[in-house]
Amino acid sequence: MDMNEIKEIFFQECEEQLAELESGLLKLNDGDRDPETVNAVFRAVHSIKGGAGAFGLDDLVSFAHVFETTLDCVRSNKLEPNQDVLKVMLKSADVLADLVTASRDGGSVDESRSRGLVKELEALAKGEMPSGGAAEAPKAAPVAAAAPAATDDSGFQPIPFSFDDDFGGDDAAKSVFEVTFKPRRDLFAKGNEAALLLRDLSRLGEMAINCDTEALPALDKIDPEETYFSWTISVTTDKTEQDVRAVFEFAEWDCDLEVSEVAAEAAEELPMVPVPFDLSALDDEPAAAPAPTPVAEVPVDTKMAAAAARVEKKEAAAAPAAAAAANNAAAAANAAGQTIRVDLDRVDRLINLVGELVINQAMLSQSVVENDTNGTSSINMGLEELQQLTREIQDSVMAIRAQPVKPVFQRMSRIVREVADMVGKSIRLVTEGENTEVDKTVIDKIAEPLTHMIRNAVDHGIESPEKREAAGKDPEGTIKLSAKHRSGRILIELIDDGGGINRERVKQKAIDNDLISPDANLSDEEIDNLIFAPGFSTADKISDISGRGVGMDVVKRSIQALGGRISISSRPGLGSTFTMSLPLTLAVLDGMVVTVAGQTLVVPLTAIVETLQPEASSIHSFGANQRLISIRNSFCPLVDVGRILNFRSTQANPVEGVALLVESEGGGQRALMVDAIQGQRQVVIKSLEANYTHVPGIAAATILGDGRVALILDVDAVVAASRGQSMKQDGALKADMSLAAAG
Amino acid sequence: MASKKADKGSLKLVPVLDLNEASVLHGQLTSMRGEDVKIDASEVERVGVQCVQVLLAAAKTWEADSKNFVFEKVSEAFEKTMQLIGINIDHLLAKEIRQ
Amino acid sequence: MKKKVLTVDDSRTIRNMLLVTLNNAGFETIQAEDGVEGLEVLEGCNPDVIVTDINMPRLDGFGFIEGVRRNEKYRAIPILVLTTESDAEKKNRARQAGATGWIVKPFDPAKLIDAIERVTA
Repeated sequence: MDMNEIKEIFFQECEEQLAELESGLLKLNDGDRDPETVNAVFRAVHSIKGGAGAFGLDDLVSFAHVFETTLDCVRSNKLEPNQDVLKVMLKSADVLADLVTASRDGGSVDESRSRGLVKELEALAKGEMPSGGAAEAPKAAPVAAAAPAATDDSGFQPIPFSFDDDFGGDDAAKSVFEVTFKPRRDLFAKGNEAALLLRDLSRLGEMAINCDTEALPALDKIDPEETYFSWTISVTTDKTEQDVRAVFEFAEWDCDLEVSEVAAEAAEELPMVPVPFDLSALDDEPAAAPAPTPVAEVPVDTKMAAAAARVEKKEAAAAPAAAAAANNAAAAANAAGQTIRVDLDRVDRLINLVGELVINQAMLSQSVVENDTNGTSSINMGLEELQQLTREIQDSVMAIRAQPVKPVFQRMSRIVREVADMVGKSIRLVTEGENTEVDKTVIDKIAEPLTHMIRNAVDHGIESPEKREAAGKDPEGTIKLSAKHRSGRILIELIDDGGGINRERVKQKAIDNDLISPDANLSDEEIDNLIFAPGFSTADKISDISGRGVGMDVVKRSIQALGGRISISSRPGLGSTFTMSLPLTLAVLDGMVVTVAGQTLVVPLTAIVETLQPEASSIHSFGANQRLISIRNSFCPLVDVGRILNFRSTQANPVEGVALLVESEGGGQRALMVDAIQGQRQVVIKSLEANYTHVPGIAAATILGDGRVALILDVDAVVAASRGQSMKQDGALKADMSLAAAG
Repeated sequence: MASKKADKGSLKLVPVLDLNEASVLHGQLTSMRGEDVKIDASEVERVGVQCVQVLLAAAKTWEADSKNFVFEKVSEAFEKTMQLIGINIDHLLAKEIRQ
Repeated sequence: MKKKVLTVDDSRTIRNMLLVTLNNAGFETIQAEDGVEGLEVLEGCNPDVIVTDINMPRLDGFGFIEGVRRNEKYRAIPILVLTTESDAEKKNRARQAGATGWIVKPFDPAKLIDAIERVTA
């Protein structure tokens, strides 16, 4: 373990502390007044400051220090953490997070913002209430220049140079200090030891000592833990009075201490026993130490001095041996933790291997079934057990990667604050089920679409405070973000209590953008879902917040790329609910195994709305090659998968196959023609790109129980191709291919 | 245990004579009152001021009782600490080890 | 004999720094993550010196120090407080709880070793 590794640990810990800080502040914001919550918040900032100090991250330290000071006021009940105070604190938490990021990755923070917050925090600590207005320009700048710029370009560091160290030597002017020292009982009770203090004092220079034992009572009168001795010491040293006093730094409250400099001649007259402190000095010049007549009438004898010297020699010899054995102790001490950190690659490798195991087990089972006529044989029973065990191992291994959605949710609360501030709205984010666990890859990938949706909800969903008041609502809007498990998937809901979808406007926009025909007769739900159509944006003016040209269609695409679905339901005047359902892992997939032109394909189950057996009467030709299928009075384009993928040169007869009604990008539905359905099963995803190369229309591959490789259909790409777009133009497919990467 | 009584009138001090041991040592010595005592400090590695106080209080008491109180053997660490804190026990050392 | 140090700190960063620093200096190091664990570990490890943080969950440094000082067997062990609190009030509280000395963070290995040397034989 070196300093860089510890620094890495520090930044990991910072992330945890920042999360702790934010969740604590949010709890306080919700009226939680548990002292432990305040303590936890304080500790988080304190801990960041402590580590930052050790690595010389001065910007971080100074901001954390101001923040901590204000938090301490809350901790000691000097400052009531009301909403206004917490607003400042939450913003400070954001700046602290930025400073951590800047310290780790370089880059800079918004200095005017951090300076403004320092002012606000300091004002709070002084008992001034926040003005609510923006921070004024500060005079002082406690947060210095951005961290990475701190080192000099030239690489030179000024080295403090001391003449004393090099030329002082024995010729340096020595002073004589007289020290009187009387320890009190408490000094010992607190773990200090007068003998050790005297030892340290003797190391400063030449020392002569007189112990006053007058106060010592007889054995039957003595309190063994009381102190009766006191000392008068003379120290001849080149050190300062401050250095002498520093010896007693830990003990000065628990003793009577006087230190004064005396004239050298006066010191000679003190009746004391000199104490040797240095071995070499004693060996070379046994008579060097001045030996005035001691009160105790016992001259210092050289035998004792030599004995003392031998002890020191022994100690010196022991030191390197001790250092050598240090590493073993480190290893032992490290074992105490309850969690271990594992490189993600290792976990992925394990998941991959377990995937192979599942396949292998399925193959083994299949061949046994094919070759074994006796269905009750012990082999069969053993195989069943094997299957169960393999599944359990698979689940357990998957669980290693599972993480709570909490960090992502916490990031969202910052976004709500920032965006709400920008657009002048007051919005509360309520989170629920943040401990719901899902595969790490899924967590990593939902952050972006979720951020986008949150921004949208703040920008477009929640009305301005005036509008809300006019509508008789709480001027403060609420956005609720929740997560839960439902039938093997994770369900994330984003609910706002805003104005809901303005269907009139959405419809008009869709007409204007040629997304629907002016006379289209759409249900409310269909209108609501138009916002997911490509290129759709409801904001009359494109704002900076929701992003330029990036609409809900992109969100939907990313969710689908994860094998997820998204839908919206909205009630005018009451708000909207976005519901996302995502797989718990990207390593396995629930698929429908189908046959197309003699090939076995897997269609992700999430894409399939329903399956149907087309009747001749429901098939309609349209143009040269296009065919439509009528489903409950509406027409849906029919896509022959075998033809699109070039498995065959002519279109198959729809009546002889099965149609899979799928929903793809933009909410459009298509009926995919396949020859037959073999069944549904969970398959382990194998990346085609990693093992072969990207194939247009194919998301990934898997290995079936009989050992055959089956391709997993990229539904969106196939649907896009059916619109006449070339399979080769696959920039848009890349996102979907990331699905395969998890295998 | 501050000390072990090897035989009657003899007391062997333990290696670490810290704050906790002061009371133990006090009890040991009190129980030996009235007899000649030989102290074996040959295994002492660390001795705190409070144990020194107890030992010296005992020496004082034994002197008043006109009984012998002798350090039979002393370790280097013990001697060194005594010297460091300005306590002279030379007159209490057994003749064999006295210079 | 290698000196044994018990460190009590909730920060993983600081724990690692302590471990590296102390081991490099030839100490045997035992670590605990908070006051409660500190008191648990204390039984049976009998350290020569304890280094503890102040702000910790479950049982803070003040409570931990008081706990050690109340312990018949271990009350004489020197305790150094490792803390960023440099102000007199916090130092005072630590002293009243029974701290032997303190090391003001930012963490400086030389200061730490020096302080340990000062309070141990």
